[in-house]
Amino acid sequence: MIGNRYPAADVLAQRGRWDAATRAVVLDRVHNVPEFRYFDGHDRVTLEALCARIIPQDHRPIEDRVPIAPWIDERCAGAASVGFRFEDMPDDATAWVLGLAGLDDAAQSIAGAPFCSLSSVEQDRILDAIRTGDPPGATWQRLPARRWWINLALKQICGIYYAHPTAWNEIGFGGPAYPRGYAALNFGAREPWEADEVLDPGSSPA
Amino acid sequence: MKLDVRLSPNWLLDLEMREYRTTDPVDFCIIGTGAGGGVLAQRLAHFGFSVVALEAGDWHDSERDMVSDEAGSGRLYWNDLRVTGGTDPLEFGANNSGRGVGGGTVHYAAFCPRLHPSDFRVRTLDGVAVDWPMSYEDVEPYYEAMEREYPVSGPAHFPWGAPHGYPYAPLEAGTAGQMLIKGCQALGIPVVAGGPVAIPSGRVGKRPHCIQRGFCLLGCKVGAKSSMLVSHIPDAIAQGAEIRTGCMAFEIPLDPTGQVSGVRYYRTDGDQRIEAEQRARVVIVAGYAIETPRLLLNSTSSAFPDGLANSSGLVGRNLMAQAGPVVWGRFPDLIRQYKSPPACALTEAFYETDPSNDFVRGYALQTVSPLPIAMAHLITEEAGGFGDELLRAMQDYNHIAAIGVLGEILPDERNTVTIHPTERDELGIPVPAMHFSLSENDRRMMAAGTARARAVLTAAGATDTHAVTRYAHLVGTARMGFTPTDSVVDRWCRSWDVPNLLVCDGSVLPTQGSANPALTISALAARTADWLRRAAAAGALARRPSDPHAVEA
Repeated sequence: MIGNRYPAADVLAQRGRWDAATRAVVLDRVHNVPEFRYFDGHDRVTLEALCARIIPQDHRPIEDRVPIAPWIDERCAGAASVGFRFEDMPDDATAWVLGLAGLDDAAQSIAGAPFCSLSSVEQDRILDAIRTGDPPGATWQRLPARRWWINLALKQICGIYYAHPTAWNEIGFGGPAYPRGYAALNFGAREPWEADEVLDPGSSPA
Repeated sequence: MKLDVRLSPNWLLDLEMREYRTTDPVDFCIIGTGAGGGVLAQRLAHFGFSVVALEAGDWHDSERDMVSDEAGSGRLYWNDLRVTGGTDPLEFGANNSGRGVGGGTVHYAAFCPRLHPSDFRVRTLDGVAVDWPMSYEDVEPYYEAMEREYPVSGPAHFPWGAPHGYPYAPLEAGTAGQMLIKGCQALGIPVVAGGPVAIPSGRVGKRPHCIQRGFCLLGCKVGAKSSMLVSHIPDAIAQGAEIRTGCMAFEIPLDPTGQVSGVRYYRTDGDQRIEAEQRARVVIVAGYAIETPRLLLNSTSSAFPDGLANSSGLVGRNLMAQAGPVVWGRFPDLIRQYKSPPACALTEAFYETDPSNDFVRGYALQTVSPLPIAMAHLITEEAGGFGDELLRAMQDYNHIAAIGVLGEILPDERNTVTIHPTERDELGIPVPAMHFSLSENDRRMMAAGTARARAVLTAAGATDTHAVTRYAHLVGTARMGFTPTDSVVDRWCRSWDVPNLLVCDGSVLPTQGSANPALTISALAARTADWLRRAAAAGALARRPSDPHAVEA
């Protein structure tokens, strides 16, 4: 579990100082989480289990956790394009379906059960196998594991998580700064409205 | 029509924009409104020509459309499907494309260095690639003009390339920039702070100066950062040019005399989509290094079965990305790299060929300063880590300074843009497919640049350093050259094959140096505009440049 590096951070408390367009985009993200439309049943449970291992949020009360899987679902349902696909990969929505099947393939092969039914330690073993680029299972014969892992699983899940004010608080990012701008520019100085970093003795950076 | 676009807090663009009928030929139809198309529209309208510029995207209103939010800024990019392959497949979309009025300049970091004189003669000097069909001196006055017109901030005396200085004072560097400066100075490497970057350190017209907001890559809500949207497009409209938005060109038709007659496009307006054709006396393609060859290759005819203006077979070949490895270090002290413009300090000390290297040509080091999502993508790409490993690495976000290697990848005919055999975009237009593989020289240069960046950050006090291979900028796919067989266009950016067709964007660059290309593209566009004025007056646009009866302008 990670420590609470910026205990006083509350980026959303500054929303009254943001421009209207930015405020609308961020608040919409926080308050209007989409319903699942694309994944259901077992696939949905598997996707949620994957998100929970890539971004563990067990330390937060359930209502404070950043929703991730619904946004993956939204992208797949809307067939969102990010501007390209690799020639050896299908479109993103298809690749997500295949990748979730691949998680089960690898889980059955390594642990003899579907991914979602494994313990978090076992789930991490499966993800480590995918991370190395050569997981067991028939699905991975037609889906390049490393590309799926980096470009879909990690980048899309990180892109959703670090778009949320809760994640900004966790890393001490000041958030939107227009029209106010920044004044404290040098050597890590903080604005009056930014949080101090509080380091645990054991977690000091660098 | 009356425009209603906000360009900065105190600048509402509410001009009455002239509109041309599609059936009446205009003097110039330009496809694209980025660093090339924007300058051309402004120059040609000033010269009194009738100009229509087709833009696939929409206007970006600084208050309504631009947001201080990474995930909410997708409208800035060309997100249509492209297919990518090769041994080193390039990623497309966000970082290396633009959509909407101003093109990629709306979200570029705004580093605006010039090419060096050596860049125009790499074949002669280094025995690789090709020379340009012009010299640095041919472009120099246009560099000076663009540095005034964007305008560009930077040191009074820039220590690399040909001697020059900048019209606006250097910007204040943020802490990440200070780390680049500190590391270079500790190692005795010359370095400059505060530019060249197209963020004027003072008010320009109705554009306020920078508020150090740090969201340059998501569009400047302040209107401080120079982009075609605020520098040249408003003037183009004031001079009578029409910027027609929502228009996706899909074919440039050829008439029986071998000249192009206009541009066919789909116009999307809300739920409405119409097919139209703008008639024009001259067509200029300025869609950047992927869409330009795509359009030419999709415009086939009995005269050009392999694509318009492609008798050389070079349309879509020599695709170059610029090497852009990102290197970051963790520092014991707080950095908060999200503050201040990401573009603020650089060194070109390693730009030129050095006989002691195991490669030719070179690289620059520049500040990068990624925002949280961009930083998370770098961290995941480096090691593929997840869970607490990932969260812990990101918790150090405020202790990270990231800098970029910007290096010269050489042209290679095997790196291509072609038309995908089956895939179509939402409009039914065949999509481009890219193939990209590095050469040994490219790999060695990138390894050396990455090692140098690590050394600089370590010298600045970083306790550990990390690196990811990245690419930036796309050029080369309709190269200019000396003859109809060695290139697609001549030194004025005119097609060798079709007398009234030009290409004027990053596609025409024969090589790219280690300089961000926007300023060079704009300078070439301004030079081409001057030539077009002379050529039109002399009647030179009626015959191909290689025609024995061609008229020299």
